[in-house]
Amino acid sequence: MRAETLKGHLDFLLLAIVADEPAHGYRIIEELKRRSAGAFDLPEGTVYPALHRLEGSGLLSSSWASASGRRRRVYQLTARGRRALAGARRDWRGFAMAVEAVVA
Amino acid sequence: MIERYLHELAAELSSVGIRGAQRRRILVEVEDHLRESGEPGRFGDPALIAARFADELATSGARRLGFAVVAALAPAALVYAVLFSFSRPGPDITSARTLPVGIAAALAMVLAPQVALAAGLLSAARAWHTGTGSSAASIGVLRRRIAVALGSGVVALAAISVYAYEYGAGLPGWQQTFVFLAAGAAVVPVAAGSVALARTSQLRPQAQGPAGDVFDDFAPVIDRFPLGLRGHPWRFCLLFAGAIAAVVLIAGGPDEGPRNAVLEFAAACAGFAAFGRYLGLRPSRARH
Repeated sequence: MRAETLKGHLDFLLLAIVADEPAHGYRIIEELKRRSAGAFDLPEGTVYPALHRLEGSGLLSSSWASASGRRRRVYQLTARGRRALAGARRDWRGFAMAVEAVVA
Repeated sequence: MIERYLHELAAELSSVGIRGAQRRRILVEVEDHLRESGEPGRFGDPALIAARFADELATSGARRLGFAVVAALAPAALVYAVLFSFSRPGPDITSARTLPVGIAAALAMVLAPQVALAAGLLSAARAWHTGTGSSAASIGVLRRRIAVALGSGVVALAAISVYAYEYGAGLPGWQQTFVFLAAGAAVVPVAAGSVALARTSQLRPQAQGPAGDVFDDFAPVIDRFPLGLRGHPWRFCLLFAGAIAAVVLIAGGPDEGPRNAVLEFAAACAGFAAFGRYLGLRPSRARH
């Protein structure tokens, strides 16, 4: 899938992945690929600026953790992020149903 | 290979103004990622990644400040409101300790708060629709509006302090003390906003696109307006200045109203001419 197509939905997808459990950047990207069966395979580095933005807007929080002797930043959903995700899910389901009804 | 990539990314981050703790955090995160994936090639061009970070950080920083500037100026507005509520009519304009200084302070007290208010509201309006995808030029307009709002706020607070000193003999004693203390306190959030603006202005966003103008800022209102204002900045200016003049005319009553309305109309048009391009009120010839 083209990165441009994904761009408008990236925040929603990232929040959905982190909603299940806190995760670091690499894990989030791998999960994005796995759940989309490889369809969402974008330049990995472009996910990090989006994670920083979501943290800056209070939808994610992050903390340092240690793994394999390295420091890593682990992201988790905030209460505000959870509310935003619920709203985005509702919007998406409504939109997807409407599109499906038109094109099916 | 990972070290070389990190070195290149560090240089690119510096070149877009990301330094210090922010840069260190990004590099630690990227190193962790690369050691786990083992494929720096999949991470993306360091220049592209640095540009994305600069765009995101500059956008969110300017957006936050665009709203915060209104809160930072609120205490200054309160100082003015208290002074004007309790000192009407004001002291005789010729009773200043040093007349030119007194008149300059009084003039600045009229103009600076209005510029601060206008620039502050324009900042909030631009911040409202600033987000992912905003161009570097648009962020530049937002930063300039914030700078003018904060600068005018400082001038307004300095002017009211000088006014209280110059016309102290004609003011109740508590008012002079109040103005000195309150203006001193009110300058703190303005100074904090200035420091935050200086920090976020170090970031150099890269996203291409137009700067936008006041018609973009208030599109939902302007596009419904019957006179077809979009694309006609001076028509917009005359209408806006006329509306302000009408309010001043009514508020000033028959004695002071007409004179104040003419002065207000002229000041609004002069402000539009002086700051119009700088604050993105009308389209820029140079920046697009």
